[in-house]
Amino acid sequence: MATIVNIKEEKALVVKDFEFTYASADTPSIKKLDMPVAKNSITALIGPSGCGKTTLLRSFNRMHDLYPGNRYDGKILFKEKNILGPKIDLINLRIQIGMIFQKPTAFPMSIFDNVAYGMKLQGIKNKTELYDRVEKALRDAAIWKEVKDRLKHDANGLSGGQQQRLCIARAIAVEPEVLLFDEPTSALDPISTAGIEELIIELRERVSIVIVTHNMQQAARVSDYTGFMYLGELIELGRTEELFVTPKEKLTEEYITGKFG
Amino acid sequence: MTHTQKRVLLNNIIMTLSTISAIIGIGFLFWILGILVINGVDALSWNIFTQEGAPPGYEDGGLKHALIGQLMIVGVATFFGVPFGILAGTYLSEYGQKSKLAETIRDVSDIMMSAPSIVIGAFVYAIVVVPMGHFSGWAGSIALTIIMLPIILRTTDDMLQLVPSTLREAAFALGAPKYKVITQVVYRGAKAGIFTGILLGIARVAGETAPLLFTSFNDNFLNTDMMEPMASLTVTMYNYATSPYEDWQRLGWAAAFILSMFILTLNILGRIFIMKKREK
Repeated sequence: MATIVNIKEEKALVVKDFEFTYASADTPSIKKLDMPVAKNSITALIGPSGCGKTTLLRSFNRMHDLYPGNRYDGKILFKEKNILGPKIDLINLRIQIGMIFQKPTAFPMSIFDNVAYGMKLQGIKNKTELYDRVEKALRDAAIWKEVKDRLKHDANGLSGGQQQRLCIARAIAVEPEVLLFDEPTSALDPISTAGIEELIIELRERVSIVIVTHNMQQAARVSDYTGFMYLGELIELGRTEELFVTPKEKLTEEYITGKFG
Repeated sequence: MTHTQKRVLLNNIIMTLSTISAIIGIGFLFWILGILVINGVDALSWNIFTQEGAPPGYEDGGLKHALIGQLMIVGVATFFGVPFGILAGTYLSEYGQKSKLAETIRDVSDIMMSAPSIVIGAFVYAIVVVPMGHFSGWAGSIALTIIMLPIILRTTDDMLQLVPSTLREAAFALGAPKYKVITQVVYRGAKAGIFTGILLGIARVAGETAPLLFTSFNDNFLNTDMMEPMASLTVTMYNYATSPYEDWQRLGWAAAFILSMFILTLNILGRIFIMKKREK
């Protein structure tokens, strides 16, 4: 059984008895997983490649539904509702639970249109409101100064780090409650990485964050809670400083000391 | 002879042979273009664009009827072929994906792409011209649409598949419904590629003669009624070039020149778009 620390904060997400099976697989990639995600804090998921951390992350906004045949079992509670249930409106869910991907995913349109995209989807047409919220999102994503004079330019002209911050601006512009980060800095240089990490820490005040990372130092630097996954199971979830200094599980200790992985 | 000398000699022989082959190939192309330009430009005059066909012996015959007929037949084919092809390509890439139906459509359209165009002309003759009782511009457009369709369908399919799936996921993750993901994000990403496909599709059908012989047939005078037989540059060129009259033959050269320049321009534009896309 997994060792799960008692979380004092309110919970943004509660995973219960969760299993996930890919269409092409016979056995589940995630097995009987229980895990709370604390509200307004940063939860990092670490573990060796193929442990299921990205699979779990992509279950939180039902990204797996884009490809036919994948199966969820168990429950993931968000605002006391099971988001795996049949009556869940996926569009509504994804507005509330945003996602940032490994590689920057700037749309082939202008910087302004990129950030306004999510708001336009929600039917916001008022130009001043759009402009104000785009500016605020870009400021919050710490990229306003760099792009304010070229909002009409193609977003693909930005550097990788700038594009990733643009994607964060686009995601926070719709004011989600949870943001999922899937290895957001693995395609970036160290300076851009530091910028994104700083940004993630600042965002904690407004959203609950789950971040998947291959980089244990990154988990240690940014997160409040860290979950260690191995072979589709959650081995340990603890406060980050405790998990890295005094892990309760032997597997966790072996992983963070580099004995495997 | 040492081993190295042998190797250098062999290399030189192969290099010479392949260079000569390349020059011969390109040589033919420039030969064709050269003769076209010499005879074509010589035959060009204002009359070509302002006058309709005239009986042999009349000096003021032109190609106005064929130019307008050509534009109408190809234009109508494009009007139907492009949206149809793009929608079908969208189905393959975004909805059908790797399903059996989608794979079958891909195979069939690949076969259609290499089907002799005269066969398609005969097909349209049987299903349109025979029931109608006469040749018509519509029949010509239908034949060209059928030829154009697989080209646009497959380029659209290929170009949409080149758009990274993470871009689609990112749009879905913002709460976009599927049709908006396709029309607002995926199409934009594939814009240049799809446009190139359209240009190459038009270029392909604009030079077709065989299917038009069976369908739109010909008319030596201006006709803009698509229900009636219609002139086209290709069929007119065929008729004039094979006639014994010198002034008709000159008009044939002019038609060949105009047609070649049109198709060459489309192809060059298509290439420019592809190159621009690569630069990004």
